[in-house]
Amino acid sequence: MEAIGVLLAGTLYGMLIGIIPAAGATTGLVMLFSFMQYFADPYLGVVFCMAVVAGSTTGDSITGILLGIPGANSAAATMVDGFPLALQGRATYAISAAVFTSTVNGLLWGSLVFMLLPYYTGLLLYFGIPELWAFTMLALATVGFVSSKYRVRSFIALTAGIVLGLVGVDPATNEPRYTLGWYYLEDGLQLMPLVAGLFAVPELLSALRNRTQTAGVSGSQWQQTLDGLQATWQHRWLALRGGFIGAFIGVLPGLGGAMADWMAYGQAVATTPNADPAMGKGNIRGVIGPEGANNAQKATSMLPTVLFGIPGAPFAAIIMALFMYLDFELGTLDLAEDTQFFDSMTFGFMWGTVIVGVLCLVFARYLGAIAHVPYRYYFPFLLLFICWACLQYTGGWQDLFMLGVFTVLGIACKHFKFSRPSLLIGFILADRIEALSIQLTTIYSFDMLADRWLFWGLLIAVVAVGFASIYRKSGINYA
Amino acid sequence: MRKIITLAAMLATSIASADYTFVVPQKPGGGTSVWAEIVAKELEPFLGEKIVIKHIPGARDIPGFNEFHNELQKDDKTVMVSHGGNGVSFLQENVDYNYADYDSVGLMNLNIIAGKRKGADMNKPSFAAGSGMVPEAFAMTMLICGPDKTVDEYVSCFKDNVTWVNGMSGGERRLAFKRGELNGTRENPAAYKKHVESNPDAELWFHHGILQADSSHADDPNYPGYQFEVLFEQRYGVAPSGELYDAYKLVKSFRDGLQKALWVSAGNPNRDHLVKALTAMSQDATAMGNIKKKVGEYNWIVGDAGNKHRDTLMTFITADALQNLVKFNTEALGLASIFKQGLAK
Repeated sequence: MEAIGVLLAGTLYGMLIGIIPAAGATTGLVMLFSFMQYFADPYLGVVFCMAVVAGSTTGDSITGILLGIPGANSAAATMVDGFPLALQGRATYAISAAVFTSTVNGLLWGSLVFMLLPYYTGLLLYFGIPELWAFTMLALATVGFVSSKYRVRSFIALTAGIVLGLVGVDPATNEPRYTLGWYYLEDGLQLMPLVAGLFAVPELLSALRNRTQTAGVSGSQWQQTLDGLQATWQHRWLALRGGFIGAFIGVLPGLGGAMADWMAYGQAVATTPNADPAMGKGNIRGVIGPEGANNAQKATSMLPTVLFGIPGAPFAAIIMALFMYLDFELGTLDLAEDTQFFDSMTFGFMWGTVIVGVLCLVFARYLGAIAHVPYRYYFPFLLLFICWACLQYTGGWQDLFMLGVFTVLGIACKHFKFSRPSLLIGFILADRIEALSIQLTTIYSFDMLADRWLFWGLLIAVVAVGFASIYRKSGINYA
Repeated sequence: MRKIITLAAMLATSIASADYTFVVPQKPGGGTSVWAEIVAKELEPFLGEKIVIKHIPGARDIPGFNEFHNELQKDDKTVMVSHGGNGVSFLQENVDYNYADYDSVGLMNLNIIAGKRKGADMNKPSFAAGSGMVPEAFAMTMLICGPDKTVDEYVSCFKDNVTWVNGMSGGERRLAFKRGELNGTRENPAAYKKHVESNPDAELWFHHGILQADSSHADDPNYPGYQFEVLFEQRYGVAPSGELYDAYKLVKSFRDGLQKALWVSAGNPNRDHLVKALTAMSQDATAMGNIKKKVGEYNWIVGDAGNKHRDTLMTFITADALQNLVKFNTEALGLASIFKQGLAK
């Protein structure tokens, strides 16, 4: 009973934060840091987090379609055709198709991931230190070269993230490192102010500044809802292809989000040669394609996150930190043997997806009203919650100071197109890179690596990603 | 809006109505934090007053303990929750806190157990590094290199024989051991049962023994015959002794003998009340069952016995033992450590 209450609360919170322009899963999860300590049962915390992910992923499409402002960057692709449809008075049609596609793919790929996740844990024993090291390198290569069209700037952001991640104490010697003599930094830079400053606050400020044209919900809502469901059925293979793309990108560590959605949108464009109306002008295929990828990638990006402690996407990096707060160490045997943990994840994500799907379809008209509440009313509350979340570390001025520093950095990165996801993933993976490099060189000689085919396969993949990025530039404009 | 105000008021009320504060030097979710939460929850009914947990995280869990020492202990309702890592830092780092300045409410004295891969050559161990592994490094060095050596010779012998792998978390260490990338590991008793005893490829290597009131270390009845001192004497025909052994006894005693501890300021008027409540809790099967379920079963030393235990630990501190601890740490293990002359006095 308690779990059902937590599930509902998480789903509704996720949906609300998804609908709020420019918020989305990342901001919603950052704000959870304030509340994690109140979960007496940590498994309920897992249910809540996964319900938030499911709720916000589906909810953010509504804002993208109605306002032309994505709830999160991952809904930006949906917006391209969804917003013109809304301006034509067909918002519910677009929302219905988006929600149905997103829900079906979420359930499909969620089943494959969460229900079978305990069986994948055997991989932990096949992935030794060399393979984990190579997999981490693959994560860096994909993030650095593929996740943004601005490759050099993305690579610089990735490097900066790694340097920031090394601030603290040298694990080998216990000596302070890059702390500028400030004792506070000896425990490393804290994830909460970093994520909030890089992502949440700049997006909130940006949304506060921008005034946009908005679409209302009008006409026969039930007919539009049914038309949306029918359109999804008509373009079911497009939806499933989008889901497959999202699932594939989600498994690759460090990607996800925007990239999966834009690739899925790209395949929708490519497979619609004589589009009428033209793509970008309100074609429903432009909604169904990326929405297929949306929930699917959220589900599959939990695979590298849970199995190896390598976040599959920026939101997964925050999930990882939240789970650590709840005393779950990802990528360990303890967790691999914890069936209650997997059950909680499955329960939270799958039922969260179902509930938010039903709510969005039934109440699309009313939910849309939330997106029209003037931003100035809820901006102070969001900012307050973010500051509160950041104060959970020491509760002192230092936490807020770091939030300020990272907000400036986040705004600068956004403005000058230095990829913030790259910076975050570099930060998260920095100590893993360092530790795995030390472990690899201490335990293994070149001879010992010779017959580890998986290690060499991953290294080849790293090189391939590098070359591919030279010949085919990523189209992702998000930074 | 009203709900937010209500929630804030509830939070404020719960803090204001708290009678005791447990200071934990970690973020929520850390091992000691989890321990403090479950102990506080079980202790509250016996105490008849509320307990709130105050987290003061920071580098190597030192700032929280320093703040207790410098400021928070002035409040008679504040209790410090420390762990074995604080004990090791006390010996070899610049910290403000000093165990001699407080009264013990209660503490847990436990034994750490080392396991090995079956059939592995433990004269060439590969082991996860870290400041928490210092006692194991001392023990394995003496087991491999034998008696009658200088600290310099032990340093050299360690470097020649031990693969000391830096940068591993507890989870990574367990995985690497299970995969066979490390041939040795160590755990507390509960984790040892879970991760080593249940592994068909692993077996017992050695343990450190349990600190007694007379300052000796007794064999663990759960793992008889595998105490370091017993194994050493079996192998070399003499009991371990000498400079490195004294440093080993010092560091293992401060880590394991103070594995989890509750402290209040010296002469604190609330101590008797706390001790009575803790005694009652430690005799209550339901409360101890709940604690065991969450953090494993350990021996409790409550009240004055805790002060005596602390006094016993202090007898291990000598200038030579501290100097040799620092020397081995820096030269063999590469760990930054300082010799605290003031502590030796």
